[in-house]
Amino acid sequence: MTITVGVLALQGGVIEHLSLLRRAADYLSTSSSSNDGKELATLPDFDFIQVRTKEQLAQCDALIIPGGESTTMAIVARRLGLFDQLRDFVKVQHKPVWGTCAGLVMLAEEASAVKKGGQELVGGLDVRVVRNRYGTQIQSFVADLKLPFLGEEEAPFRGVFIRAPVVEEIMTTTSGSPAEQEVKEGAASASGGQQSERGAAPGDDIVAVRQRNVFGTSFHPELTQDVRIHVWWLRQVLDAARHGDLVAL
Amino acid sequence: MATTNEKAANGTTQSHDDAFTVKAGLAQMLKGGVIMDVTNADEARIAEEAGACAVMALERIPSDIRAMGGVARMSNPAMIKEIQAAVTIPVMAKARIGHVVECRILEQLGVDYIDESEVLTPADDQFHVTKTPFTIPFVCGCRNLGEALRRIKEGAAMIRTKGEAGTGDVVEAVRHIRTVNAEIAAAKARLASEGSLGIADMARQLGCDAALLQQTAELGRLPVVNFAAGGVATPADAALMMHLGCDGVFVGSGIFKDAKTPEHAAQRARAIVKATTQFTDMQALVDASIEHGEAMKGISNAGLRPEEKMAGRGW
Repeated sequence: MTITVGVLALQGGVIEHLSLLRRAADYLSTSSSSNDGKELATLPDFDFIQVRTKEQLAQCDALIIPGGESTTMAIVARRLGLFDQLRDFVKVQHKPVWGTCAGLVMLAEEASAVKKGGQELVGGLDVRVVRNRYGTQIQSFVADLKLPFLGEEEAPFRGVFIRAPVVEEIMTTTSGSPAEQEVKEGAASASGGQQSERGAAPGDDIVAVRQRNVFGTSFHPELTQDVRIHVWWLRQVLDAARHGDLVAL
Repeated sequence: MATTNEKAANGTTQSHDDAFTVKAGLAQMLKGGVIMDVTNADEARIAEEAGACAVMALERIPSDIRAMGGVARMSNPAMIKEIQAAVTIPVMAKARIGHVVECRILEQLGVDYIDESEVLTPADDQFHVTKTPFTIPFVCGCRNLGEALRRIKEGAAMIRTKGEAGTGDVVEAVRHIRTVNAEIAAAKARLASEGSLGIADMARQLGCDAALLQQTAELGRLPVVNFAAGGVATPADAALMMHLGCDGVFVGSGIFKDAKTPEHAAQRARAIVKATTQFTDMQALVDASIEHGEAMKGISNAGLRPEEKMAGRGW
């Protein structure tokens, strides 16, 4: 069995994700051979590809929308005619999708602080994100995040925030009960005292969120050497595969 | 890079490593995109709507700087602020080589990147700005690997290979990316055959930091993002630079110079974004070339006297 994981390669930090995905897959295959069946007895092979066309997207069982400029990605995706297929991938086929930074913006149902005239989104997360939440590049920063979904005992994750968006509101959904939502709040326990320094109580900012098959982070795990979130997400992809949510396996 | 702590602008304690990750990280997010020179808010909006991943705010496009002569300086902050207010994508601005105060002014303005640029008249004929102490990231030009690594050692978080700005002639941009690529290949071979001693010797010849040269040889590429700049005038030029291994392109005069109407400029801008993001798709390049229409007239690089060339500025 081979699981194909794509990284949308219209613009932005693509190879960084591919490189961490490969390391995460190596980590999974090492840990599955060493820890008595906690992973699948036979771990499927992963195939990691760049996605620029409809044909490449059709091959994918899961997808990462990377960081970059969300306005650029939306314009290029529109021109390539990828939007309907992306929406189908996320909202009809419910395949696992993860967006980082600009990718989180793309996966939100609503975004504020967008360019004049608005910008097209894929949607899938019933949230409103605010773009460039912290300001311009001068306000970009690195902060330690306590991410409960990695495990309560885990060391903090170095979150790299670059002109980052955050989730400003979780919206009540028409589809799916609240029980199906699993919301992760990260920056609340960011260390270093910078949250209070920046004012406006960003200590409550939601910087990671998952609803069903859709996961989004404001920050860039792919700009670190820390493989934990990629490993965690690949496990979600494997789970989806095991439960038959993925087609053609 | 050293991991001493310093107080960052937002009051946090960030190590130099963290600071550089954030600076270089923004450049990584610009990859595969087009950064367009714009001189006012209307042009900035045209660029954003066309899919530019960032804009470079400057008072005059390079071809006009070339035509007007005189001393070219940092743009008026009022004009930069107007552009910052008009768009949501990153806004870059140029400072003169070695002009620390222009750089501090641009940092205070909150632009997203500073281009320490040879397109402006150099303020210092010996030294570039020491960039590491700034919170804001810098992009600098290079003609060869030694120049690129000297700029990175000074703290540049992004490199652009220098073309001859304002000419619409791509030959210098091609020459310089080819030079950088050949020197990286030579460094790889040197590392394989002679190890760190060979790298140290090559670093002396190039006049650059040996550790950075070793890192480059190991990676097989520059350790930061590298865009093409200068003389890129058509969709085919932009795609050519991508084929040569650049991570993205700066387009200066090519969009707005000699454009008949704002719609013509918008068409050119869209076409160059298309060619850059789809540079391996030949049908897309045909479509982009048709959409682009007539290019700027341009000036042949071969006809320029050495003192008329901008790429030679910087050391």
